Amino acid sequence: MELERLYRCSWYHRWVESRASLIRDPVRRLSYLRRAMPVLPRRRSGVHAMLLMAAAFGLVMIAIPGQNTGSGWFLDREVAAPYRETRVASEAAVWIVESRGTHEVYSNGLRIETDGVVENEPRVSNVLQAGRLSVIAGQSAPAGIVYHTTESHIAPFEATNNLRLQRVGRWLRDFVAQNRSYHYLIDRFGRVHRVVRESDAAYHAGASVWGIQQTVWVNLNHSFLGVAFESQTTAGDKLAESVTPAQIRAAATLTSMLRSRYNLPPDNCVTHAQASVNPANMGIGLHTDWGANFPFAEVGLPDNYAQPLAAIHQFGFIADELYRNATGPRLARGIQAAEETLSSQATALNLATDVHRQALQQRYRKIMSALPKQLAAAAQESKENRP
Amino acid sequence: MKAKPETQAALGLDVGTSRIVLASQEDETFKFDTQLNAFVCVPFSRMTEKALTREGVPFARNGSDLLVHGNEAPRFADLLNSETRRPMTQGVLNPAEPESVPVMRQIVEAMTSSFRDNRPKLCFTVPAWPLAANGVNEEGLTYHEATLRQIFAELDYEVLGINEGLAVIYSELEDTNFTGIGISCGGGLCNVALSYLSMPAMSFSIPKAGDYIDSSAASVTGDLANRVRLAKEERFHFNGHFVDKLQQVLTVYYDDMINGLLTAMREAFSNPKRMPKLSKPIPLVLSGGTASPKGFRDRFEKLLRATDFPIQISEVRLARDPHTATARGALIAALTEMQ
Repeated sequence: MELERLYRCSWYHRWVESRASLIRDPVRRLSYLRRAMPVLPRRRSGVHAMLLMAAAFGLVMIAIPGQNTGSGWFLDREVAAPYRETRVASEAAVWIVESRGTHEVYSNGLRIETDGVVENEPRVSNVLQAGRLSVIAGQSAPAGIVYHTTESHIAPFEATNNLRLQRVGRWLRDFVAQNRSYHYLIDRFGRVHRVVRESDAAYHAGASVWGIQQTVWVNLNHSFLGVAFESQTTAGDKLAESVTPAQIRAAATLTSMLRSRYNLPPDNCVTHAQASVNPANMGIGLHTDWGANFPFAEVGLPDNYAQPLAAIHQFGFIADELYRNATGPRLARGIQAAEETLSSQATALNLATDVHRQALQQRYRKIMSALPKQLAAAAQESKENRP
Repeated sequence: MKAKPETQAALGLDVGTSRIVLASQEDETFKFDTQLNAFVCVPFSRMTEKALTREGVPFARNGSDLLVHGNEAPRFADLLNSETRRPMTQGVLNPAEPESVPVMRQIVEAMTSSFRDNRPKLCFTVPAWPLAANGVNEEGLTYHEATLRQIFAELDYEVLGINEGLAVIYSELEDTNFTGIGISCGGGLCNVALSYLSMPAMSFSIPKAGDYIDSSAASVTGDLANRVRLAKEERFHFNGHFVDKLQQVLTVYYDDMINGLLTAMREAFSNPKRMPKLSKPIPLVLSGGTASPKGFRDRFEKLLRATDFPIQISEVRLARDPHTATARGALIAALTEMQ
C-alpha cells in the first residue's frame, strides 16, 4: 500500500519522466516506464472523496480500475458504462418492532436470535467492467440471498428427541459462528439465528457465479447474504424430508424482511447449487445444496430454478453428469436455458459451441486473475473509510 | 557443448478490417508488409489454378472454389464485376462470412511464413470495446480476440494482444514518454486510447470509420463501395473544393465521421473518475488508412478546436506513416515484452 501511494505521487511521476527522457531507445524507454508505473494515478476531487465516503455507507459502488500489471495490461478494456440494478423489487415494508440484546422482532412476525452474532471482515465494493458486462465481486449492501443446507448431523424430528435436537442445534450454531459460515441459520424448530453481521462478509458461497442480464456477481461472499437451513439431504429427498414446516415459515419471513430492508430483486434469491462453481475443472456445482425442491413459492419467490445459469452462458462452465444427477428436474430447466443461450450466441457468431465456450472460460479466468489484488486494495480502502 | 541460443523474433500485426499490416525488425530498422484483408471466390479449374500459381497470386482451394486473398483480391473482383468478400467487419471477424476464419488464417500464415522458426513473439492489435451499444457486436470482440489467439497459437507463436489506440501511442509518442491520445481510424472502427506515461487510462471504439464513409458514399453515387474506396484512396483531398460529386459526398461523410468521433471523445473524457490527473496539455496522434487523405489532420484539428474539448491538446499530429503506425506500435510492445 505504501508503494501504491508512492506510485500515485506527482513528484514520483516527474522523477520517472525525467529518467525516462534519458533513455533514447523507444523500446527500452517503454520497458522502463512500464516497470516504473505499475499503478495509474486517479484524479481525486472533493466530490470523489465524498463519493468514497458514501460508498462506505453503502450508497455508491466504487469502480476499481482493471488489471494493469504484467503483459495483460496491454489489453485495457475499461468502459464507462456504470453498473445499474437490473430489476427493482417490490416487497411490502417490514420494520423492526423490538430490539433487545438477545433478539429482534419484526413487523411480519419474524424473530431473530442475536445473542451469538459474530463479526467478520467487512464487505468490500469491487466492480469490474468487461465490456458491457459488470462483474461484481463485492458490494457494500447485499445484492441477494443464497440459500444453503448445513448438511450437518441431525437427530430425528420427534418430541422424544427434544433435548438431543436442541443440543445438536446449539453445537451447529457455535460451529457456523466460529467458521463465519453464514449470515443466518434457521434451526429445525424454525428459530432464526443471526450468525455473522449483515454488514460483513460470510464464507458461505466460495467460488460462485450468479447473474442477471449484463450484471454478474462472482464469489458471492461479499455480495450475497447466506441463509442456511439446518438439514441433511440426499438426492431425491422430498421437501418434507429435507426441512421442517417451521423452517419454511421462518425462511419466508426472513426473506421478506431482507428483501424489504435491502430492496433485493427476487431473481437474486437463489440456491447454492445454482451458483456454486468449480474453477479447477470449469464445472458448475462444486456444492449442490438445494439443487432440488427448494420451496421458492412457499418462501414468496418466483421459481428461480428456471433462470438460465450465468456461470454457463457468461463464463462457459459445464454442467456435467454428476451435477445433473445431484440436482433435480426443476434446476435442469435453468441448465437447458443457459445452454440454449450459449448455443445461440455461438451460432450468431458463426462459431462452434466448444470454441465459444472456451472463449467464455478464458474471459472468466482473465477476470478472476484480476480480482485478488483488487479485493485487497478495496478492503484496505474500505478500512480507511470506516468511521 | 552448449548450443548458442537463436534469437527470438518479434512481430507486430495490425489486424484491421481493411488491411493486415505486419511489422518486423531487421537489424535496427522496422519493415512492413501490407495485405488487403479481403478475398474473392474464383470457380476452380486446373487452368486457373496453374495460372495463379505461375503468377504468384496467393490463393487457397476451397471445394469447388479458389479463394484469392490479399492484395490481388480487388483485381479479381473487378474482373468478375463483384465485390470483394471481407473476413472482418466493424473491427471484428465477420459473423456473416463463413470463410472468415480460414481466410484470416491463410493471409496471416502467408505473411508470417518466413518468421516461423524459433517461436516468434507476436503482438496483434485488438479493438477496444465500444463506448456505447451503437451497432458494434460486443460479444464479437471477445470471440474475435479468442479466435485470433487460437489461430496464432496453432501457428506456434507466442501471442500477446494490444489495444489498437495504445499501439498508435507506442509508435508515435515516445517524445512525450507515451503520454497522449492515440486514434486509429481504420476501416470498421475508430479506436481511441488515452495513455499516461505508457499506462492505458482509457480506450474505446466507435463504429463509424472508413467502411461507413465508403458505403454511405456508394449509396449516394450508386457506385460499388469497393470502387468508392479505391477512388477515395487514390484521389480524395480534404481541401474544400468539390471537383466532382464523389469528392463532395466523401467530404460530407468524412465530416460526419469526425464529428461522431469528437462527440464520443468528449463524452468519454468528461468522466473524471476515469481520467488521470494531467498537469499539461497532451498531444493527439491520428493514424490509419482513413486518416491518410491529404487535409484530414487539418480538418480534424479545425473541428476539434471548435468544440469544447475537456482535455487540453498541445498538438494534433498525423502518424509518420498512418498505414503502418499501429503495426509498428504492436512490434514495439512485442519487443518490450522481450526486454
